[in-house]
Amino acid sequence: MNEANVEKKRLENPPQTVDFRISRREKLDAAQYTETFTVPYRRNLNVISALMEIRKNPVTKEGKQTTPPVWNMSCLEQVCGICTIVINGRVRQACSALVDDLLLASGGNTITLEPMSKFPNVRDLTVDRTAMFDYLKRTKVWIELDGTHDLGSGPRMSQETVQERYAYSRCMTCGCCLEACPQYFDDNYIGPQAIAQVRYQNMHPSGKMTRDARLEALMEEDGIQNCGNAQNCVQVCPMSIPLTRAIYETNREATIYGLFGWLRK
Amino acid sequence: MAIKISRSFVMRKLHQLTGIVPLGAFFFVHLFTNSKAMSGASVFNDAVADIHHIPYLLFVEVFGIFLPLLFHSVYGVFISAEMRPNGVNYGYGRNWFYIFQRVTGVFLFFFLLFHILNFRFGMIPGLNLTPVAGNAELAFAIVQKEFQITWVFILYVLGVTATAWHLAYGFFLFAVDWGILIGERAQKMALYACVGLAFFLSAVGINAMVAFNKKCGLLPSALCEEAEKKGIAEPDGSRRF
Repeated sequence: MNEANVEKKRLENPPQTVDFRISRREKLDAAQYTETFTVPYRRNLNVISALMEIRKNPVTKEGKQTTPPVWNMSCLEQVCGICTIVINGRVRQACSALVDDLLLASGGNTITLEPMSKFPNVRDLTVDRTAMFDYLKRTKVWIELDGTHDLGSGPRMSQETVQERYAYSRCMTCGCCLEACPQYFDDNYIGPQAIAQVRYQNMHPSGKMTRDARLEALMEEDGIQNCGNAQNCVQVCPMSIPLTRAIYETNREATIYGLFGWLRK
Repeated sequence: MAIKISRSFVMRKLHQLTGIVPLGAFFFVHLFTNSKAMSGASVFNDAVADIHHIPYLLFVEVFGIFLPLLFHSVYGVFISAEMRPNGVNYGYGRNWFYIFQRVTGVFLFFFLLFHILNFRFGMIPGLNLTPVAGNAELAFAIVQKEFQITWVFILYVLGVTATAWHLAYGFFLFAVDWGILIGERAQKMALYACVGLAFFLSAVGINAMVAFNKKCGLLPSALCEEAEKKGIAEPDGSRRF
């Protein structure tokens, strides 16, 4: 956590203006095209504030009047995940993407904004991430506690378990891991986020009681076995969730359950 | 309650397993036999003859090599086709390894097809037309002649290197996919070991290839003196007493 104390690098000779190349799409399945907008540079500009600037006066660099680009935003502090887009080819949250950092990294004067490619592109920079929530439903990532009677206090967890589970609990369903995963597209692979949530619930002493049902949901045609171990997920995760650890711990359980489970019948 | 297992789960696990046993194990045996070329033609030809004398040879060959190889390579090509490579934007080491495992796999699909037709069956027009199988006494001479053709030699160097890497990283992937290797640090250590193994296997494989036209391969021939003193034939087929 030393990062907070380090002075962020700033552009020494900032440009007068910054160009934003933005992917546009009228509606789902309509043709995609790009438009470039010029935004006056100011200190601490981030991608969301630049988009807000463009919205005030949606005129392209060529001087063409157009509709304001559509994007999602909510918390503006990288905890809700809704503003996730692809910036200069890399998936991340737009709210925490500082223009200074982007220009320093690319060395250029143009920033490219695209919607995530692995989800249906509803309009401009917005996508429909329903698939992620469907995976969570399918894998039953909750703890069954039905009934009106008093169940008493739950079982205790070790401090190690609590800490590891806390890491998984930080998932904000933003979609970065799925966007960067070379195995995730269409219905090919369930992806790291659902696997990490399965691990999260399977580690819970009460959640363990329905472990097998979650494992089976993870071993369907598009299941955990389709992981290709490129490990991009853990690299791009903005919440630093140990996604690969979740996959490999669950691999062990799934392998034992799937390959040797029948020997116990 | 019956355990539900999907087809792809069984196929993936089987794919990972066949890569290690029998194919990985076979590659070690293969390199061991090849390396006997370092001691000259008769040692190598005897080794080939020994293989011919394996009991139930046909079944061993079909069920131990051909079928697992066919399954691993064909299903492997299907797995490779699933790839949506993004190494340019996400240029992490593991991401490149992921891509490279599939690239080497597809390359090996064609290389092994060539290799089996070339030596096992002798069916590549314009190249060797005598199958090594059934002609143990000619084995050394066949390979020697083939490796004198530069492009064939280079192709085999690529083939051996690609196999060495695909297998070494395959060990890593197997351990990871079966949940044996979990922690970050453990994976790092295992990866170093795999890189070391890949270099070792490539070196042994390439040295054996060189040995068909230069005694003892790239090593000083003094290391292979033993066989020579016993009056075993030279790589060129002549005997020295």
